[in-house]
Amino acid sequence: MNIAVKIGAVKFANPVTVASGTFGHSEKYYHLQEVKKLGAIVPKTVTLHAQTGNPPPRIAETPSGMLNAIGIENPGADVFIKTKLPALKKTGVPLIVSILGHNDEEFKILTEKFNAAGDISALELNLSCPNLGKKILAAQDPQAIERIVKTVKKISRYPVIAKLSPNVTDIAAMAKVAEDAGADAVSLVNTFAAMAIDTKTRRSVLGNVTGGLSGPAIRPIALYMVCKTAQTVKIPIVAIGGIMTADDALQYIIAGATMVAVGTANYINPRAPLEVLAGIKDYMRKHKINDIAQLRGSLDHG
Amino acid sequence: MEKLQDVYRIISNEKICPKFFRLCLDAPSIVNKALPGQFIHIRIQESLQPFFRRPFSISRAQKHIEILYEPVGTGTHLLSRKKKGEMLDVLGPVGTPFSLPPKGIRQVVMIAGGIGVAPLLFLSDILKRKYELVLLYGGRTKGHVYDMKEFKQNGCKVLISTDDGSVGVKGRVSKLFTKIRPDSQTTFIYTCGPRPMMASVQSFARGHKLRGQGSCEEVMACALGACLGCSIETRNGFKTVCHDGPAFDLNDLIF
Ligand SMILES: Cc1cc2nc3c(=O)[nH]c(=O)nc-3n(C[C@H](O)[C@H](O)[C@H](O)COP(=O)(O)OP(=O)(O)OC[C@H]3O[C@@H](n4cnc5c(N)ncnc54)[C@H](O)[C@@H]3O)c2cc1C
Ligand SMILES: Cc1cc2nc3c(=O)[nH]c(=O)nc-3n(C[C@H](O)[C@H](O)[C@H](O)COP(=O)(O)O)c2cc1C
Ligand code: FES
Repeated sequence: MNIAVKIGAVKFANPVTVASGTFGHSEKYYHLQEVKKLGAIVPKTVTLHAQTGNPPPRIAETPSGMLNAIGIENPGADVFIKTKLPALKKTGVPLIVSILGHNDEEFKILTEKFNAAGDISALELNLSCPNLGKKILAAQDPQAIERIVKTVKKISRYPVIAKLSPNVTDIAAMAKVAEDAGADAVSLVNTFAAMAIDTKTRRSVLGNVTGGLSGPAIRPIALYMVCKTAQTVKIPIVAIGGIMTADDALQYIIAGATMVAVGTANYINPRAPLEVLAGIKDYMRKHKINDIAQLRGSLDHG
Repeated sequence: MEKLQDVYRIISNEKICPKFFRLCLDAPSIVNKALPGQFIHIRIQESLQPFFRRPFSISRAQKHIEILYEPVGTGTHLLSRKKKGEMLDVLGPVGTPFSLPPKGIRQVVMIAGGIGVAPLLFLSDILKRKYELVLLYGGRTKGHVYDMKEFKQNGCKVLISTDDGSVGVKGRVSKLFTKIRPDSQTTFIYTCGPRPMMASVQSFARGHKLRGQGSCEEVMACALGACLGCSIETRNGFKTVCHDGPAFDLNDLIF
């Protein structure tokens, strides 16, 4: 059975990865042998300088999902490269490093730093973080997407994945802009701008007032977006949004996704990515599909 | 390495007073590792409702894992209906435990508000016979007071207050502060409960130059330090309650 997939020239042993910001301290609940089964690991987004994050409360439970406004808390690129990257490299699992610059220059410096760090399989550009209080996100501005992708592509040693925000009118059009600018793949979706109010206090449940919705609550919308994007671009799609089970992941693959990333589900069931992988293989066996490429985009439009 | 997440059989799940329940789990692998102040993260049922797991302090780890809990919302009410013999999906033990009293400490004062008493029971199991133990317990009503037998068996002196005066001293647990004779060199404080109560304990401790530890609560998703969702502000910056805590130096907490 062939379940290997490719982004740019880089090959991944299987299509299952984890969504940025949702998978950390895996050493605590996985054997190394188990971690090695993942197709790739995407660590939490790294910015050029350390960020302390948003004021608490930072998360809230919502129907079949959650709100978050973490604020990309991270130690900054240099500390990440020195203290976190070595352990991640040691797992032997391909790494897709997620970076976020507050301007084109920061994206450029981040790319240079990770070029120098070596042993990375791809860069994911977080164009879509809705939590930093800007009026408009890069991912909502086709010109910004084009500029940033071009800036990074020009110097990156690694394939470049543009991570898109669902908070746009036509995400497929944004994906096309990324493709035309040279992106090797797009990943979608990041969280949906959202909020909840505590009626007792008439305050938002989040310290940051607004946040992003994730989890199974967003899956049908994200699936629609992936499906539409798959019909618009030729580059691979990393599908993200509410994947809890293999069936969820298969829906995305049938809609046209090349890879699938498990996010919020990691919090509920830390073994979800492994179960998703096992379930995809079972499905292929049962349906006598020997190459995942046969399944990809096989949606019967009837 | 043992699995951090597994399913365990419920040995018992009983009401111990009008407001509190005790749940016992047959979880030898957790018993072997658990330290006071740590907690378990329970998937209440295999459905999307409730969506998150729910965190509960380990109140005892002897033959079985025990938790004490108060049904307050959807998840805890569902938990209270679980029957002996059912299986529970549990992650844990997780979290940074209480640090033990430093050198020179002779008296340990535990101050609990409501169900915050849970981690202090496990602590008293570990500290018994080594220190003079006192528990100051504040409950809202007599429905929030159970017999505290295990504390007494651990040689712990138990003083109680209730908001309505139905048991013990009438008023907040801070009314009981005058009943102890703290000494900055030999007394150590452990506290767990609602934030305003912990704040009053902190100012009492500062007033008497007492050192101590406080156990915090925050809404949690992963309980593994991965999502950075349960962060609180401390004197050392943002810290995750699930991974850097729940036990913190009392003086570092900001209320
Ligand atoms: C480290 C830790 C240890 C705890 N130990 C105990 C214990 O030993 N016994 C006990 O009875 N309770 C304990 N709690 C509180 C317990 O987790 C909450 O009462 C429970 O999550 C409420 O869930 P619910 O579905 O019944 O309530 P709901 O009101 O329906 O919950 C809604 C949301 O709020 C969260 N939530 C509500 N109250 C709290 C709270 N006080 N702390 C954190 N999250 C909350 C829930 O997780 C959920 O996301 C602990 C909390 C933490 C963080
Ligand atoms: C707590 C939390 C933190 C996140 N942090 C990041 C991040 O640092 N960078 C990023 O690109 N996406 C981040 N995301 C978004 C996820 O990677 C993912 O795109 C989104 O949650 C949708 O997938 P899901 O429904 O499977 O969780 C975060 C999501 C959550 C819930
Ligand atoms: S709950 Fe995820 S970091 Fe604490």
